[in-house]
Amino acid sequence: MIYLLLSLLILTFAGILSYKDYRISLILSFLLLFVSLELGGISMFICFLALLNILSLVAIRRNQISGVDYAMVGLMTIATIYSFITSDIAELLALFVVVSVPTYLIIMVDEGKLNVDTGIKYIAFMVIATVLFIIGAVVLYLGYGYQNSALYLFGLVLLLMGLALEVGIAPLHEWVPDVFANANPISVSIIASIAKFVPFIVALKILMITATELTSSALLIFAVVSAISMFAGNIGALTTQNPARILGYSTVANMGYILAAFVAITASKDLVYYAIAGALLQLFVNAFGKVGFFNAIKGGTWTASSYILSFSFIGLPPLMGFWGKFFIIYALVFSNYLWLAILLVLNSAISVPYYLRLVRVTKVNVPNMLTNTVASITAIVMFITLFPPTWFVDLVAEVFK
Amino acid sequence: MIELLLAVLFLSPILGSLPVAFAWLLEPKRDWSRRLPILAVLGLFVSFLCTLYILFNFGELNLEEVHKFSFDWLPGFNISFTFIFDYLSRIMGVLTALIAFLIGVYGLEYMKHDYRLGWYWFFFNLFTASMLLVVYSDNLLMLLIGWEGLGLASWALIGHWFRDDDELSFVGIVGRKIAGLNYFWSPSLGAWRAISTIRVGDMPMFFAIAAIFFLVRNLNISEIPWSELAEKIGAAGIFLILLAFLLGPFTKSAQLPFSEWLMTAMTGPTTVSALLHSATMVAAGTYIFMRLTWYMKPWTIHSAGIEVLYVLVLFLGLISALYGASVALGCRERKVLLAASTMSSLGLMFATASAGFWVGQIAILVAFWYLVTHAFAKATLFLVAGHLIHETHDRFCVGGRELAKHLKLAFAATIIATLCLSGIPPLTAYWVKSAMDGIMHSLEHEFGFIPLSLLVLTSAVYSAFLAKFLSLNFLKGEYHVKSHGGGRLMGIAYTAMGSMLLLLLFVYLYFPEFLEFVAEGFLPSSLVVGLVVLLTYLLTLSKPTLESPIGKALGDRLYLAFLNDYVVSKIGWSLARLVDYANKAIDIFCHKAVPKAFEMSSKGIRRVQSGSIELYLRISVAVLLVLLTVAIALGVIM
Repeated sequence: MIYLLLSLLILTFAGILSYKDYRISLILSFLLLFVSLELGGISMFICFLALLNILSLVAIRRNQISGVDYAMVGLMTIATIYSFITSDIAELLALFVVVSVPTYLIIMVDEGKLNVDTGIKYIAFMVIATVLFIIGAVVLYLGYGYQNSALYLFGLVLLLMGLALEVGIAPLHEWVPDVFANANPISVSIIASIAKFVPFIVALKILMITATELTSSALLIFAVVSAISMFAGNIGALTTQNPARILGYSTVANMGYILAAFVAITASKDLVYYAIAGALLQLFVNAFGKVGFFNAIKGGTWTASSYILSFSFIGLPPLMGFWGKFFIIYALVFSNYLWLAILLVLNSAISVPYYLRLVRVTKVNVPNMLTNTVASITAIVMFITLFPPTWFVDLVAEVFK
Repeated sequence: MIELLLAVLFLSPILGSLPVAFAWLLEPKRDWSRRLPILAVLGLFVSFLCTLYILFNFGELNLEEVHKFSFDWLPGFNISFTFIFDYLSRIMGVLTALIAFLIGVYGLEYMKHDYRLGWYWFFFNLFTASMLLVVYSDNLLMLLIGWEGLGLASWALIGHWFRDDDELSFVGIVGRKIAGLNYFWSPSLGAWRAISTIRVGDMPMFFAIAAIFFLVRNLNISEIPWSELAEKIGAAGIFLILLAFLLGPFTKSAQLPFSEWLMTAMTGPTTVSALLHSATMVAAGTYIFMRLTWYMKPWTIHSAGIEVLYVLVLFLGLISALYGASVALGCRERKVLLAASTMSSLGLMFATASAGFWVGQIAILVAFWYLVTHAFAKATLFLVAGHLIHETHDRFCVGGRELAKHLKLAFAATIIATLCLSGIPPLTAYWVKSAMDGIMHSLEHEFGFIPLSLLVLTSAVYSAFLAKFLSLNFLKGEYHVKSHGGGRLMGIAYTAMGSMLLLLLFVYLYFPEFLEFVAEGFLPSSLVVGLVVLLTYLLTLSKPTLESPIGKALGDRLYLAFLNDYVVSKIGWSLARLVDYANKAIDIFCHKAVPKAFEMSSKGIRRVQSGSIELYLRISVAVLLVLLTVAIALGVIM
């Protein structure tokens, strides 16, 4: 707790002092991250991701809120890390908002003019999402408390819809391609990476806390929505030529994969850990991958890095993308959702053409040094799972006891 | 010891042919490579010695003596290399090896100037080795190896003159068409017809063997428990299995309607026709049938399915015999005449062996000794025909007294062969044919006089065309000899072959095992048949030709060629077209339908992105409301 308050203070100062020089904020945010490393296992990954986000923000340092953007990322990081630790529903909901709001600002930021149109579109959806999510969570808790099936299901659907709108799960994904295409790539990379963790973690924790006998059957809705999202994202990307749009659809599909892991939360403990590990790995793949690709769009990177990122998204072993999907499939198969597992594999196959197209359309002759570095680091990160990530499952087990 | 014997038996022909085969691959023009076939013939001789050894050194030669030698092959499946030395296999082995050797000697001179000696000798010896494998094999799977070798060698040798450049090797009158179909066949086409017909029979045979294995787990002919099998799968089942199995022998032994290939197999060298298509390969089918019946002992099993099968074989054999004999009577080409006559004899063998169902083991013995008699006689006639073709440069029956004087040995051999084979008393075939008459007679209770009358009719026609062959080539005709010279080795070969017939006569009259045959021969009914045969022989000798439309139709083999060349090919092409459609359908599905479907759905998903935030919000609200309704409804229900 103390660390959190300390970090918040540092961030505030960083934000204020950035008026003088953006570099102060930069350094303070960095330091902050190293401080939060105290907090253990998965947090290290989150911090590393945030580090990369801040680095990529340096590429657009001549933006409207230069300096404060690093503080925003820091804030989101702290919120994400905290969401892993806490189990209080009120705190979880608050963290949901804390992660969501900075993104409203970041999405509009650009090197030239402010992207107000895109911002309005994005904010409209995000606000509705937040509202639906919070009301859903509360009604869900009520339904759980009063053992009322109608309330429970009502809350569940609202929660799901809120989550879907927030992260971009079909059929509520319409904002994703437009926003991804029209905003500054680096800004999009922020919202596409670090902002996706908390909604899923919070939803997961709330569902697990308020689980009843009805939950297992109700999770079928999650399965169906997840399947729709996978297909919509992958098939939609097949004929797209604009790389940012392709990445938008890719996000829709990946969110579908992650949602699929939810159906296993009422299974045995082992399976739950595998499901959560799979979801988290897939979130990381998505996050690092999007950071890498959007940097590639902004300033370019080596073709090798792009290829590695593509292969990871496709799910080629031994890259991280394979393991994420593998754990999710494992959990699905043994939770009697074989059909969903088969659809997941099918979708991985469908996604191959457009990921390879991404490499082609983001090719540049001379990559910008900063974006190249960031993208290459993300590519290297994909190789972490050369050592089969049973260690990751153990980390997850520790966190989600 | 036994391993060495078997190895030498099977490998010496093949090894003997390798020098000439390789030499031909490397340097066919050199003189020394033309001397290498003698090694091949030497290999055949060594094989012959082995078969003689087997004949005389494995106990008595009686019906009960059986020696089996097994070598592990697939022990987990109870399938082994099992060789069997019993009455049938020992005699058949000697027959095969002796005929192969004599024809090999003949071939040394006959094929002296050929342009593809390596190919010829390799497959000739491969054939002999395969035939020996079939003869001595007890295990059905091992027998299949030999069976396939026979088919392969047959194709290779019939199509020996594959360049189709010599009209002498064709069958039929070149350029002649009937109803648009070419009624003449080249060596390459003959080879194709042979292998395709045999294949059609081989496929059911494979399936039958697989079925037998599946049901009784034993593939040794001498061990298969037929009565158990018949009970297990019922009458229809046993009939189907046996019929499927016998389709292999039927096609190989050119029974109706699979006889066409044998006629056009005459496009191969005469040595090939003599060995494969008179004495051994086509006899393999009947031999297998005889062995099967020998060990099945159908006279002890009571199964309606087996009975129906044997009735089928009986009448199929008799009708094929009559057809073959009639076609031979109408034929003008030397070798096609003999081929049709072979088909006829094979039909008689099948019929007689199948009579064993009612009569017992004696029928198999009669059929078997008829096989032996026929083998020697037909081989002699074929070799003579080859010499005649060589001399007269014509494959049609031309000749005359002058030719007879020029080729004295050929004339003598032909006389001996035709007399001994036709069934004229008291020569070789008479005793066997009388035994056959006796057997058909004893089927009176089942089928009346039909089998006997068919047999007698066939015998009469048979002797008629044998006389025709003798007469047209050596007696009637105005051929002027253009002296060729040579032919000494060939003469020796077919004289030796012909004299085997006299040896056989001695065997029939001397050894006590054949007492029953001889007893049949002395019956008045047999004498009557013998006289009928003699009469037809003499009649045809004096008037060998008769122009008539029936004769023409018979000579054209009752237009059976349309089945092979028209009907079957049409079926094949329609199958090919069907597969083509299926192929196109798969192609369109994979390369047009599926990608198009993905493209359309992708564009559909993207069309939603109009940019209008109102649309997006409307969609979101709609989805939300729908899901909420569903959820609440479910919640209220539960």
